[in-house]
Amino acid sequence: MLTQMKGIVMDFGPVRAVDHVHFTVQPGEIVGLLGENGAGKSTLMNVLAGTFPPTEGEILLDGQKVRMTSALQAMKLGIRFIHQELNLCNDLNVFENLFLAQETLGRGGLLNKKEMAQRTREVFDRMHVNIDPWTTVKTLQPAEKQLVEIARSLLFKCDLIIMDEPTSALSNREIDNLFVIMRQLKSEGVSFIYISHKMPEIFQICETYYVLRDGRLIGNGRIADTNEGEITEMMIGRALAEDDFTHKEYYGTDEIALEADHLSGDSFEDVSFRLHKGEILAFTGLQSSGRDMLADALFGVIPHKGRLVIKGRQVDRANIRGYMHRGVAMVPRSRKERGIHNHLSITDNVSMGFINTHLKTLLINPRLERSRYQRVKDALSLKADNPKNPITSLSGGNQQKVILGRWLETNADVLIFDNPTQGIDVGTKFEIYHLILRLAMEGKAILVFSAEFPEIYKVADECVVMYKGRINAVLPRRQLTEKNIMYYSTGSNLEGAKHEQISLEK
Amino acid sequence: MNKSALKNDRGRLSIGSVGKKLFSDYSYMVSFILILAIAVSVNPNFFKWRNVTNIFVQSAPIGVIAMGMTMVICAGLIDISVGAQVAIISGFGIDLLNYTHNIWLMLLFCLAFGAFIGTFNGLLIAKGRMPAMIATLAVQTSCRAIVNHFGQGGPFTVANGISTEPYYEAYRLVAGGSVDVFGLKFPYPMLMFIVVALLFGLIMQRTRLGKHIYALGSNEVSARLSGVNVVRTKIAVFSITGLMCGFASWIYASRLMAVAAASAGNLFEMDAIAAVAIGGTAMSGGRGKIIGTFLGVIMFKIINNILVAAQVPTFLNGAISGAIIILAVLLQNVRGDKK
Repeated sequence: MLTQMKGIVMDFGPVRAVDHVHFTVQPGEIVGLLGENGAGKSTLMNVLAGTFPPTEGEILLDGQKVRMTSALQAMKLGIRFIHQELNLCNDLNVFENLFLAQETLGRGGLLNKKEMAQRTREVFDRMHVNIDPWTTVKTLQPAEKQLVEIARSLLFKCDLIIMDEPTSALSNREIDNLFVIMRQLKSEGVSFIYISHKMPEIFQICETYYVLRDGRLIGNGRIADTNEGEITEMMIGRALAEDDFTHKEYYGTDEIALEADHLSGDSFEDVSFRLHKGEILAFTGLQSSGRDMLADALFGVIPHKGRLVIKGRQVDRANIRGYMHRGVAMVPRSRKERGIHNHLSITDNVSMGFINTHLKTLLINPRLERSRYQRVKDALSLKADNPKNPITSLSGGNQQKVILGRWLETNADVLIFDNPTQGIDVGTKFEIYHLILRLAMEGKAILVFSAEFPEIYKVADECVVMYKGRINAVLPRRQLTEKNIMYYSTGSNLEGAKHEQISLEK
Repeated sequence: MNKSALKNDRGRLSIGSVGKKLFSDYSYMVSFILILAIAVSVNPNFFKWRNVTNIFVQSAPIGVIAMGMTMVICAGLIDISVGAQVAIISGFGIDLLNYTHNIWLMLLFCLAFGAFIGTFNGLLIAKGRMPAMIATLAVQTSCRAIVNHFGQGGPFTVANGISTEPYYEAYRLVAGGSVDVFGLKFPYPMLMFIVVALLFGLIMQRTRLGKHIYALGSNEVSARLSGVNVVRTKIAVFSITGLMCGFASWIYASRLMAVAAASAGNLFEMDAIAAVAIGGTAMSGGRGKIIGTFLGVIMFKIINNILVAAQVPTFLNGAISGAIIILAVLLQNVRGDKK
């Protein structure tokens, strides 16, 4: 199906979110849609998927002008929107999810489960995926859930699939698998619009690109004719100095801030490392490598076995508050579910860490709250109008800054950043990297848990690669390459070797 | 950082939400003014001091309980045991008063007993990981059964109804007495209600506990990861609600001077929850204000007042209160959550 959007304008009140954008998708083409948060990507896609009608402009499908009035109508026309957050019911099984609200009925109005399961299997076969339609969705891996979402689009007529950040919860191997499936469908004539912040993915899977900024189309063309630097420049309006990070200095001192000795816990085992003041140590690994759980254990969210020494004192009990008083802070992964206090104001969100560790008076002083907010706002160049607005009124990047501010205000000396730039725009990402480097320079001890190589490369002095819950390699900065990290995180060095015999190379 | 990109971003996101927030935050004010207008038109004597104080006196027991209930609901929980708590505390409280002849000892007992039941609720929910609705339902039926058993169907009566006993009169004055300020009579229950409301307003806005309650109600995982002691906060909201049930019982029994085990405090939980809902607190937790609940409680009594003045048949009162709850809460939902 040839999809054309012509001169699309979308106004929300006085704000113009999309400004005269032209957008074309050829049949069987994978188009990358890029832009910072708030550039208008989601709005444009929502217009295409019928969520709201555009203020101006028209949509043509195969040359026919259509009026998209509802999401349901868009679906009937063969357009599917897979949102960033998965919309699956965890307690239902796979085919029930696929057929949700479109159930096949048999005699007497009862569900025809056999037929639904059969059709689900057919869709999976078409995708060359092996998932049992009767499995409960809860038990699936994140990657499999993503595939179920795609399968749902393919169940009925589908010519164009819009994917919004589909890989944020996937490991590299799972991403490759997803791409294989996308190419497979593409060869059958299905088109894709692929929204992502991850540049390597765009270059791997897309053929053409569109870049939006401030609601306007800044550039488009063939991926083969451009490079990452050019696209980044289009997205943020100026060149970012990658060079800032290539000559990273080492600020580490001799003083040990945190020491883990044969640490084990839920899904990680026998982890030992030392973190010095001023040092930035990165942890990486695939989704199931135990990386997440290790981060949680180091902040006392889950219990651990083995010896954990923080600033010279051993901690045994998992107790977040105890760790906070010891001077540890964690910026958690999954901002929406684990970071923000969604109904609370920006100020309260900033203050929550401080009042839990340092508040000495019975009453909270609003004047001090305001000055704390102001301090965070200045330090992190937070873009917010009114500190009393709920935190959800901010964009993702600014929400993340609020959370960073929350922990900086606790004056912790051991900072754990767990996937700190998840789903935020390039500009803010770079600000956060600079912040991490500055904190190390001030003598903070820093742990960064991340799955993104460019991120690790920009900040880490040393990178621990985990595989199946254990440390597989510790790479010093000079050995930090994407290839090396992939090699160790997929356990390629262990082929044929017993896990017990891992020797750590330092 | 590209400035205009962010300005655009921020502008688009906040304009709608600010308007929405304004309306949802102050919708209880709209309802309150509306009901005041109706009240004045039905009853020209509405603003007579005596009528005003009466409304406060009548609302005081439910009012102080609703303060605790606001905390519970802001934390994303619920407590349906408060009515039965009032029955058992006021019943045993009267027994204790008859035995000791000391109203202050009785107050102490009421507070301690209430805090005890509340803490028990809290432990079941926070430590025992029971759903709040089920735990407090169990406590509700147990309390009611125990007080019924000890009351043997009959009422608990202060001084066995002998009004010449000195402590009888002393206790009657808890709800019946007043202080004169500039020639205006301020009944004690009115003052107690206002002071408790101010105290709760302060706790919710200006203390760590208040912030923790809101954080817990908006997202328990985030709250925990910010260092909020989730277990202790949950126990605290129930203990405080129990404490308020104790305080309410002391006022309540003084107004009646005899409480019947089977009917005392009947449906108090529903009145309290309704007042909280009318006051604009989100039933899912995380959002709500004490001032809203305060006005909610008063509104509820005014509605009663109107119904009496308008000579609506007594048996229909419940239906009309019900309709008003629905209207008030619908009004809050108009704020544009429709996506």
